[in-house]
Amino acid sequence: MNLLRSYYVLCKPNVVYMMLICALVGMLLAEESVTSVTNIVVALIGIALCSGSAAAINQVIDRKADAAMTRTDQRPLPQGELSATHASSFAFVIGVVGALVLYLYINTLTMILTIASLIGYAFIYTVYLKRATPQNIVIGGLAGAAPPLLGWAAISNTIDPYALLLVLIIFVWTPPHFWALAIYRKDEYAKESIPMLPVTHGVAFTKLQIVLYTIILFIVSILPYIVLMSGGIYLISAVILSSMFMYYSIKLYFSSDDEIAMKTFNFSIYYIFLIFVALLCDHYLIR
Amino acid sequence: MNNIKNLSFLGICLAFVVIALGAWTRLVDAGLGCPDWPGCYGFVVFPINEADIAIAESLYPEFPYDINKAIPEVVHRYFAATLGLFAIFLVYLSFKQNENKNIRLWTIGLLIFICCQGIFGYLTVSLKLLPIIVTGHLFGGFTTLTLFFYIFLKSSNFEILNKMKIPNLKFIAGLAFFILIIQIFLGVWTSTNYASLACADFPTCQGSYLPEMDFKNGFNLNQEVGPNYLYGLLDNPSRVAVHYSHRVSAILVTLIFLILMSKLWFTNAAPLASTLGILLITQISLGIINVVYVLPLYVAIAHNLVAATLLLTIFTINYLAWKK
Repeated sequence: MNLLRSYYVLCKPNVVYMMLICALVGMLLAEESVTSVTNIVVALIGIALCSGSAAAINQVIDRKADAAMTRTDQRPLPQGELSATHASSFAFVIGVVGALVLYLYINTLTMILTIASLIGYAFIYTVYLKRATPQNIVIGGLAGAAPPLLGWAAISNTIDPYALLLVLIIFVWTPPHFWALAIYRKDEYAKESIPMLPVTHGVAFTKLQIVLYTIILFIVSILPYIVLMSGGIYLISAVILSSMFMYYSIKLYFSSDDEIAMKTFNFSIYYIFLIFVALLCDHYLIR
Repeated sequence: MNNIKNLSFLGICLAFVVIALGAWTRLVDAGLGCPDWPGCYGFVVFPINEADIAIAESLYPEFPYDINKAIPEVVHRYFAATLGLFAIFLVYLSFKQNENKNIRLWTIGLLIFICCQGIFGYLTVSLKLLPIIVTGHLFGGFTTLTLFFYIFLKSSNFEILNKMKIPNLKFIAGLAFFILIIQIFLGVWTSTNYASLACADFPTCQGSYLPEMDFKNGFNLNQEVGPNYLYGLLDNPSRVAVHYSHRVSAILVTLIFLILMSKLWFTNAAPLASTLGILLITQISLGIINVVYVLPLYVAIAHNLVAATLLLTIFTINYLAWKK
């Protein structure tokens, strides 16, 4: 039982659930009303397996650094619950199964896009970007931002501009989200010599960047309304949520309390969740 | 020195506002909202009550008065004039301090430049929106913004910026600067020739990847003015040529920016690479939205402001690449 739990945790379930929610919203927005529940469930399973695989690969590659950080030292590999060989075989199997599910039951486009984001996160980000540039999460964020595009493609078999707009929202959201945490965990990143922005350019500069990114996020979050993708419910939600995010980031900028960084990080998770809920509400309530 | 820093920062903000107001004036076709300069129909502010409007119309019978077009023009002029006052005050401040005498030259340059902008504004009206003049006026506006920004950089000692060093990127940074200016010219040329909607589809133009185009006429800088240039005078193939050039050049800009970004990301100036990337994505999205959604006013203004921000970003990258 414990072993099963270790494999489950290896997939970073919380992150995968958040990605699935974003993918689900992409699927639901892609059509007027749901035509096939089976399709949605199957596509979600495929995407979940691939995301889980990416998370597992990330932990295999990063197991040494993970062991040195309090944020991650509870993970199954640093704890010795799983061996690297077992974890990587597991990652390989669920990744292949996930890709096959998408290829056989959904469509080739979704499979290709999903594999591309898997490679983007598990290899390009983890192996290379993370240690090469303080902008690691900005570029790597693109892979994490893919779920709505994957969901949309699963239903429509196209790369829709609206879906790209959802990707853009998550893409711009990722840096302030992650940097808030990085400020809080700065010393641990410094110890592992991972060039996170607060380590290389200082906390003050990172805070300024967070403020700037929340301003851009404010503008980007309004775009779905401007391009007539969403209506009033979404607009009001986006303005309120983005204003709150900006409020947090400005508070963080003028404060030296690290707890506020953690609060900003926590709020950012609610932010992206509620933005997507608002997109859904708007889609079904305004007709 | 701190005063100069604060005032030039306010100047940057106000310059953005003036650029936005200028774009607004152009986009609501209000460039000839006041046929005279510096007043508006002979008034200090635009006439509001009926008696004044009657006087206005009798003074300029050939220009029917439209308050919706007079307002943007007058508001733009007064905001721009305020920016001029900022420049005068900056000159004063720069002579009051002795820390950095070099900055005096720049503030004087800025003041002279803003005066030229005023003259350009006058020419815009008196030459009835001749595209080359309107284009020059916008470039002047962008240069004014950049000068405020440069004075801001010079007067504030950003530790983080001082540490950033990218001397090996001189060439690609310079190339990016050059191609961006070409692209801004093409964008403004598209706007001043009313060619933004010459291609109403995307990515194709008039249903084709190679539409009929007339480059010779489209880029003839010595156009005839006609009665005036409101709504443009070019024929369809010329407008398509102008519009399509802006699109093709956007691809070129993207490629060169990508090369620049991929090099910058692995220096300590990496945050600027991301800034550039995100602005580029935003700008391309806004450009596409402009075409597909038939030039929504706020999107068109935003396209203008993001262009200005891109210019400042590329300027900063060059500043870092060329500094000693």
